[in-house]
This record gives sequence, structure tokens and C-alpha cells, in this order.
Amino acid sequence: MKSKNRLTLWERYLTREIGIEFKACLYFFAILFFYCIYRMLQDSFDAEIIHMAEMIVTCYIIGYIQVYLFDNFDEADSLGLKECIGVVVCTVLYCLVSYFGGWFGKNMIVTLILAAYILITYICVFIIYRSKRRIDDKKLNEELQIFQTEHGKK
Amino acid sequence: MKIDIKQITEGEESINIRYRDPNPTVGRIISLLRGEENRIWGRTEEGSVCFSADEILFLESVDDRLYAYTSDKVVRIDGTLSSFMNENGDEIFFRCSKSVVVNVNRVMSLKSLSSNRIDATMEGGEHIIISRRYASEFRRFLKGDR
Repeated sequence: MKSKNRLTLWERYLTREIGIEFKACLYFFAILFFYCIYRMLQDSFDAEIIHMAEMIVTCYIIGYIQVYLFDNFDEADSLGLKECIGVVVCTVLYCLVSYFGGWFGKNMIVTLILAAYILITYICVFIIYRSKRRIDDKKLNEELQIFQTEHGKK
Repeated sequence: MKIDIKQITEGEESINIRYRDPNPTVGRIISLLRGEENRIWGRTEEGSVCFSADEILFLESVDDRLYAYTSDKVVRIDGTLSSFMNENGDEIFFRCSKSVVVNVNRVMSLKSLSSNRIDATMEGGEHIIISRRYASEFRRFLKGDR
């Protein structure tokens, strides 16, 4: 008996795509913030449109890599070896694109600071998702208790 | 099995059941006559057993065979997961994957996992993973909204 409420293959694909879209926006804004701070410290209040375009495309591509190659490590239940490899690979990719794209004037020190910033961002996002799941645990267990009371658990 | 049905015009109605060894089919007929429709008959290594549907923690379909897991035994029962759901209703039983049906009244706790999956810990300590595909429906099921 098929339920109309069950997610179809298309809906599951769409959910995943929206997830990647959200991820790309999240990391784009994080990197854009870093970029703006860098520009302001350089006494410049202009941002290069080409850099911003490169950033969003990079965030999309790395979003796909994160989800399809590294099992969505920033939303993982725990940080194991595979997740850590994912974090390092994606951070290196961001740094390589930023360096060769000249986002920070090919400055090695700024690129290294960017690497540290992205690592911290990944860890923060991981903690945020974990906290969200813990809150969800409480909600689910409350609903379970109500269900069992209503359905006369013996 | 020979079935002998006779219509009578007078006298007390009666049903005689003659069997060599207890088996699930005979068990189901006896349960029906005694008004114990919620009883389930199945086979374990020790022989035929009868138990209440409420005792089931979860059911698993393996190679077209259906197994019911209670806190102290694993029982092979006749039918499929779909036929079980049809016969026993879907008030407390939830189909959480293609091959598993879980008794929500026997779930001890729930844990939200990544990718919108749910880990259900049963009273026996077993962990049943409700996949992303069924998780949204499960949330609605808990709220009585489906």
C-alpha cells in the first residue's frame, strides 16, 4: 500500500538540491564577509564582481563535492576520519581557488588565515546542526510520549 | 484439510475442530472463534506459539519470510508486511522501511540523525533506523496527522 505522504524520488532529489543551494549561500556569505573585511583593511570599499561570481560558483561546486563525495560532513552525526578528510579537502579547494583567482592579491598569509577561517566555519556549522538535532530529539521524544499515552501503551 | 459444513434447522450450533498438531492456521481459526482476533500465531524453533500483537517490537521481512520480534522470542509468521498491516491496522504499527514495520508503542526513545533520519531504540535495545524517505511520514504519524 503506497502512501501519498511518502517522499518520491523527485522530491528527495529536490530536497537534496535545495540543501546544496542553502549550503552554497551559507558559505558564500561567510567567505564574502571575510573578503569584505580584507578589502576594508586594504582601505578599499569596493568589491570585485568577478571575485564574487567566482566565490558563488566555487561554493556551489564545493557544495556538490561535500554532499556527493563526503556524505555531507558538516551535517554528520560525529566527526570521524572521513569527515575530517572532507573538511581538509574542501578547505584546500577554497584556498586554491582564492589564491589562483587572486581574491586576496595572491597573499599567502591571508590565504592561510582564510584556511583557518573556513575550518572554524565548518566546525561552527557542525556544532549548530548537532544542537539543532538535539533540540529535535527532545521534540520527537515528547511527541512519542504523547502518542504512547493516547494509544494506551501497556 | 477437509472442510465439512452442514446447515442445521434446529439444535445448538457447534463447531468441531480436529487436528493432529497445533499449527498457525488452526490457531488463527481458534482465536477467531474465541473472539481473540488480536492474537497472532507463528512458529519458533520450539514449535507453534500464540501471542498478542501488542507484544511485537517490530516485524522484519527477510527473503519473503516474515519474522516478528518480541522481547524474548523471534517468531516466523505467515503473510507479508502489507497483509499484517491490513489485518492489524496501522494505529500503532508504522512501516519504517520496505522490510520493517515497527510497533511505536514499544519504542523507548527516538534520536534525530543527520540527513533527516531517525534512530528508534526499541524496548529490547535494538536500533531501527527510519530512513529519510519515511521520516517525514513518521513525524506526521506521531502527531496523528496522516
